[in-house]
Amino acid sequence: MIEIKEIGRTFNTRDGGTFEALKDVTFSVKDKEFFSIIGPSGCGKTTLLKMAAGLTRPTTGSILIDGEAITGPGDDRAMVFQSFVLLPWADVLTNVGFGLEMRGMSRRESREAARPFLDRVGLTRFAEHYPHELSGGMQQRVGLARALAVAPDILLMDEPFGALDAQTRQLMQEDLMRLWDSEQKTVIFVTHSMDEAAYLSDRVLVMNTHPGTVREILDVPLPRPRDESVRRSSVFSELTSHMWHELRGMMGDPTAPAPE
Amino acid sequence: MHNFYLRNKNRILAGIGLLIGLAIWEVIGRLGLSPAFPPVTDVLGAVVEVWTSSRFLDALKESMISVALALPPSIVFGVIVGVLMGRYRAVEWALDPLVNVFLSLPLVALIPVLFLIFGLGRGSILATIVIYTFFIVVVNTAVGVQTTDERVVEMARSFGANERQIVRRVVLPSALPLMFAGVRIAAGRAVRGVIIAEQVIGLIGLGGLVQRLGGAFAVENLYAVILFVGLLGLVTMESVAFAERRALPWVASPDDSGAALQGA
Repeated sequence: MIEIKEIGRTFNTRDGGTFEALKDVTFSVKDKEFFSIIGPSGCGKTTLLKMAAGLTRPTTGSILIDGEAITGPGDDRAMVFQSFVLLPWADVLTNVGFGLEMRGMSRRESREAARPFLDRVGLTRFAEHYPHELSGGMQQRVGLARALAVAPDILLMDEPFGALDAQTRQLMQEDLMRLWDSEQKTVIFVTHSMDEAAYLSDRVLVMNTHPGTVREILDVPLPRPRDESVRRSSVFSELTSHMWHELRGMMGDPTAPAPE
Repeated sequence: MHNFYLRNKNRILAGIGLLIGLAIWEVIGRLGLSPAFPPVTDVLGAVVEVWTSSRFLDALKESMISVALALPPSIVFGVIVGVLMGRYRAVEWALDPLVNVFLSLPLVALIPVLFLIFGLGRGSILATIVIYTFFIVVVNTAVGVQTTDERVVEMARSFGANERQIVRRVVLPSALPLMFAGVRIAAGRAVRGVIIAEQVIGLIGLGGLVQRLGGAFAVENLYAVILFVGLLGLVTMESVAFAERRALPWVASPDDSGAALQGA
């Protein structure tokens, strides 16, 4: 279980003041749960995810995994990034093995160990290609395979399909769904697509902005395994329209100054 | 025929430009307007003679030994210092003014100082090559390191990478294109540096030969040596560019505009 406890994050601004990005954020994610965080841009959802990854520290509060406070990146977690973040100078296989290499494997071992994960995302034929030779969707499959390769208990996904076109995005959602059905990992999934959140998640956290706080946590009562047809169910449309109702209220004036 | 022209347009036009230039030179030479312009045909005649003379070959060997001794360590240490400057703020603050001073100084002016330190032998020549090449490698490496994509560094950290792994597997590869640009410029400057230093000493190497031929107004022979030095610089830089294309398959094509700083 991941427990996010009373997380706060303030930044110092240029004019000597402070800006409160996150305030008193508390929630927990169960094992094997697919948990999404949705909110308007600037609500601190990515910051929250980076804290869970151990890349940045909260100003106040703590994050516990199975009761232990995290102090940095760990073997139990792996991250998937919005902009894929592949190594442009390395071929696909080295990219997939990169996480393993950082955890102590030699380049050769990590490339061998990466192969099955490349198979799993359907890119077997592209092992020796370079990232710039792949489409965006394929690049993100590499990013996903890289995360899966380190066998994490927890996948942290930061708007992983946000940079893809609508069709690719939908395909990737379905593939991720199937993958999650077979892998049963805990996923924290940051998105600003309501459809995506509803389709994929067990629960969805809707965030307020300025400062980022928990607005509400929604259950997604859709049966699993899910397929495309759930998008046409009434539960799905009620859920997404509810999210939209919640979110649009916050999107009135994006230029509004942050509260002092 | 037409297709051949289209495919090699740039080379053909470069060749035509060169031929026109040589033709004008030949005409001026034949008119006997100035002793500085002997006819091209005389120079080309001297080329064969000079390039095969033992005096020239010995001088060439001398110069090449100096470059081979000074350039590789200059590049290695330049890369090390560049990485430290690019990665660690304190090192950058400490060294930045020094590096900039050396890049903007007219280095010729420093050669007498080097003689005072290293004497009138190879030591001074090696030192000249080093100051001609070291700082350009430092600056290009440092900029390459600084322009490393922070997102990639963060990605590596998320997988538990330590500082050593980040430098080796992220920072160095992403700085490689600019490092190569620095090395390419350094290779050209090494040739220039060795000639200038030898010229000032006036006794050894190609620079010494240039100095003596110039002093004797052996203009045809002088041109033959200069021509060789020009070709040498060109070949050196082209070989680095070739190595660059082989080593960096993910970079479309290296060109000079990619260099952080060309240096004077």
